[in-house]
Amino acid sequence: MESRYQILGDITVLDLSQGVAGPFCAKLLAGLGAEVVKVEPPGTGDPSRRSEPFLDGRPALENSALFAYLNTSKKSVTLDLGLAKHAQVLKRMAQDCDILVESFAPGYLDSMGLGYDNLSEANHGLIYVSVTPFGQSGPYRDYKGSDIVAQAIGALMYTIGLPDREPLKVGGEAALYTTGISAFSAAMLALHVRDTQGFGQHVDISAMDCMTVAQIHSSIHYQFGRTPVRRETNLVQAKDGWVSPGLDIGVQAGTWPKVCQLMGVPELTDDPRFSTPEGRRANQQELLGVVGEWAATKPKEEIYHTLQGLRTITGYVATVEDLLASRQFAHREFFRMVEDSELGDVVHPGAPFRIDDTIWQLSRAPRLGEHNEEVLGGRLGLSPEELTQLFSGGRA
Amino acid sequence: MGAERNEIGPALDGLRVLDLTQVAAGPYSTMLLAFMGAEVIKVESCSRMDINRGRARPAPGDTRVYPGGEPGERPWNRAAHHVHRNINKLSVTLDLSAPRGKELFLDLARICDVLVENYRASVMDRLGLGYDAVSQANPQLIYVKISSQGDSGPERDYGSLGSTLEQTAGLASVTGYEGGPPLMTNETYPDPVVGILAFGALMAALRQRRATGRGCLVDLSQREVTSMLLGEAFLDYSANGRVAGTMGNRHWDMSPHGVYPCLGDDMWAAISVSAEDEWLGLCRCIGQPQLASDSRFQDLESRRRNQAELDQIISTWTLEKEHYQVMHMLQAHGVPAGAVLKANETLADPHLEDRGFWDVVDHPEAGTYKQTTTPWILSKNPRLPAIAAAGLGEHNFQVFNGLLGLSPGEIDDLVESGIAGYTPSDGA
Repeated sequence: MESRYQILGDITVLDLSQGVAGPFCAKLLAGLGAEVVKVEPPGTGDPSRRSEPFLDGRPALENSALFAYLNTSKKSVTLDLGLAKHAQVLKRMAQDCDILVESFAPGYLDSMGLGYDNLSEANHGLIYVSVTPFGQSGPYRDYKGSDIVAQAIGALMYTIGLPDREPLKVGGEAALYTTGISAFSAAMLALHVRDTQGFGQHVDISAMDCMTVAQIHSSIHYQFGRTPVRRETNLVQAKDGWVSPGLDIGVQAGTWPKVCQLMGVPELTDDPRFSTPEGRRANQQELLGVVGEWAATKPKEEIYHTLQGLRTITGYVATVEDLLASRQFAHREFFRMVEDSELGDVVHPGAPFRIDDTIWQLSRAPRLGEHNEEVLGGRLGLSPEELTQLFSGGRA
Repeated sequence: MGAERNEIGPALDGLRVLDLTQVAAGPYSTMLLAFMGAEVIKVESCSRMDINRGRARPAPGDTRVYPGGEPGERPWNRAAHHVHRNINKLSVTLDLSAPRGKELFLDLARICDVLVENYRASVMDRLGLGYDAVSQANPQLIYVKISSQGDSGPERDYGSLGSTLEQTAGLASVTGYEGGPPLMTNETYPDPVVGILAFGALMAALRQRRATGRGCLVDLSQREVTSMLLGEAFLDYSANGRVAGTMGNRHWDMSPHGVYPCLGDDMWAAISVSAEDEWLGLCRCIGQPQLASDSRFQDLESRRRNQAELDQIISTWTLEKEHYQVMHMLQAHGVPAGAVLKANETLADPHLEDRGFWDVVDHPEAGTYKQTTTPWILSKNPRLPAIAAAGLGEHNFQVFNGLLGLSPGEIDDLVESGIAGYTPSDGA
C-alpha cells in the first residue's frame, strides 16, 4: 500500500513469543516493515489475549488492549508445537525465515527439535532471539518471571517508593517493555552482522540482565560509597495535578532570578539557600515549599510551559488523557488511529523513532488464526486437504 | 548457548561514531555501541564538559558521587556517572564555538559513519553544526538526534531529565502506591530505555544506508519512546475513556502480586501469581494446601478481592525467611518470585556472576569497580571487555594526529589557543 521505503521490507519474522517482551520486540520489527507471522496455540492463543483491560470492557479473545497494542501489523497462525505434525510445519516455516523470536522456558523448543541448533542447520542465516526472565544460562535459567519479579531481581525496585513504605514497582509492564526493546535492538544488531558478515546467531535476552542495565545509579553509587535508598518525592501539587520545578541540574545562572520574579518572591534571589543549583538541591524540601505556595493555584501545564520558557527543566505529571490532548504530540502526529471495522477504531502510540521518510507500519492485531490459510496454504503450499488434516484430530 | 564461540570479530567492527552525547540516555547508547566494537570518539569541550563529569572544582554541598566521597585532584575524571557511562570510548576535546573547532569537528564528521547527540534540540543548529551542515560535509553520515521532545513541535526546545520524562510521558501517572500520588524511580528510568532503543534505531538506519548509499537523520523523542511503555493504557482510554492511575504493586491479571517483608532490615521478596498451577504451588510451598480450596481465594477474582487477607497470610510466612530463600523455595514450586535486590546484592548475585554480566574495571583515577555491561548476549559476537572511561582529552593526540593527520605542533597550537585541552577551563 505504501510506496515509501521499508527498512525491513525484505525480512520475515516468526514470532513464537507470548506475553509482553517478545511480542513487543516483534511488533517493533513489524513497524519497520518486516512481515511478522505470529504463531499461537490453537483455541487459546497468546495468554495476553486474556489480559485486562478489554477494549469494550468485555473479556474476549480479540478484545484485550494489551494484545491489540503488542501485536499490531502481524499475521496470526495457530500451531500446537506439542504435536509432531505441527512442529514439522513450523520447522518448514523456519527454513526461510530471517528472524525467530521466542519466549519459552529455556530448553523447551530444543526438546521439540525446534531449538537454535536444529533450525540453523537448514538455515545458516537464521537469527534466533530468545527472550526469557533469566536468560539461557545461569543458575536461575529455569525460574519463572514477571514484570514485578524482573524489577525486583534487577535491583531497580528497591530504590523506588517512599522511605517508610515498601519498595514500589514502575507502573504497567515497564520492565517487560524494556526487555522487548532490548530484544529488538539486539535483533537489529544481529541483522547488521548478518548483512555485513553473512551469518546468523542465537541472541540471549534476559529480563534480569535488562533491568540490571536499567539501574544506572544504584550499583555505581554503592561502590563509590553512597548507599542507594528510597527518597522523598520532589513533586509539588498544582491546582490540577503535580509538577516538578526542575531548578537544579542543568539550569543556567540567570534563570533563578527570573523564577523569583515570576513567583513574586524577589527577596529570595540572593538567598544563599537557593541562589546556586547546589543550594537548591541541598535545600530541596524548603524550595518545594516556596514553589508549592505559588503552584497551588495554577494548572500544571501552565506551570510547565511558563517555567520551561525560563529555561528550567520543569516537568508535569501527564496522564494518558493529557498526552492524547498534548499539542506537542499532536504536532508530531505521534498517535495514530488504527482501524478495525469489527471492534472499532482505536488510538495507538506510533513510531518510536523516525528515519527520513520511511514509514512506520501500524495495522490492527490479527484475530486468532486469521492467516492460517494465507500463510500455511498460500505460502507454505499446503493443500486444503492437508490443512484440514493438520487441524483434525488434534487440539485445534 | 547453542553455537560455538569462534574467532569472529566484534559485531560493529569498523563502525566509527562521533559522540556528542551527555548526561545519560546518549552516553548509555554510545557505550553499548562501544561494547559491541564500534570506535566511539567522544567530543567534549574544556569549557563545557559532559555534565556527568561534574564541576572542575565541586562547590561545598555538591551532591555528585565520587569514589569514597573524594573528588580528588581531577574530579572530572572520577565522577561516578562519567566513569560508569563512558566505557570503551575515546575522549577528545574541541571548542565547538571557535571556528577552528568547528572545522576540525566537520573533519571528524567526514571520517565517521555516525554522529549521536542529545543536546537540547536547537543547540547543534545554533553552533552551525546541525544535520544540514554535517550531512553536507559527509552525505553518508547517519545523524542520530536524541532529544527530549523530538525535532519538531512547539515544545521542541524544552529541556528534560530522565526524572521529568517519567512525568511528561505518563509513566509517573501509573507509578505510585494505591490511591497515592504519582512517584518517580530513582533511576531516571527513561534514560537507559531510550539509550537501548536508540541503538536499535541506528542499526535500522545503517541498514537503510546500505540500501540507499546515503546517510539520514534519525529523530528520536525521549518522551515519545517513554510513553510507548504505557501502550495498552492509551488504547484503554481511547476505547473506554478510562484514565490509568496508580495501583501500587497490584496487577490487573495476577493475585497475589506484590512485595512481601522478609528477614532482615528492609528486605523484601516479590511474588506474582497468574496461572492456577502457580497458585496451587504457592499454597503447597507455604505449607497451607487447604488455602487452595478456601472460597476466599478460589479464583483470581476472589484473590484480588481478598488480597489484603492473602497478603497477611503470605507475609507471616515470608517474614521468617531470607528474601533469596523465599525466591528459591517458591520457584521450586513453579511460582514466579524474586528477591528485591539491593545494590550490594546485585553486585554479588550468583546468577549474574555465572552469566558474566559484570566486568571488573580498574580505573586509573577512580579505582576498581564492577561495571554494568549489555542487555544482550550474542552467541557469535561477544561484547568487548570493559575498558575504563577515558580522562578528559586523553585521546586528543591519537585522534587529531592519527585520524586527522595534524602534526604535534598543530595540536600544541590547539591546546595553546584553548580549542583543545586536557583540563577544564576556569569556571567549567
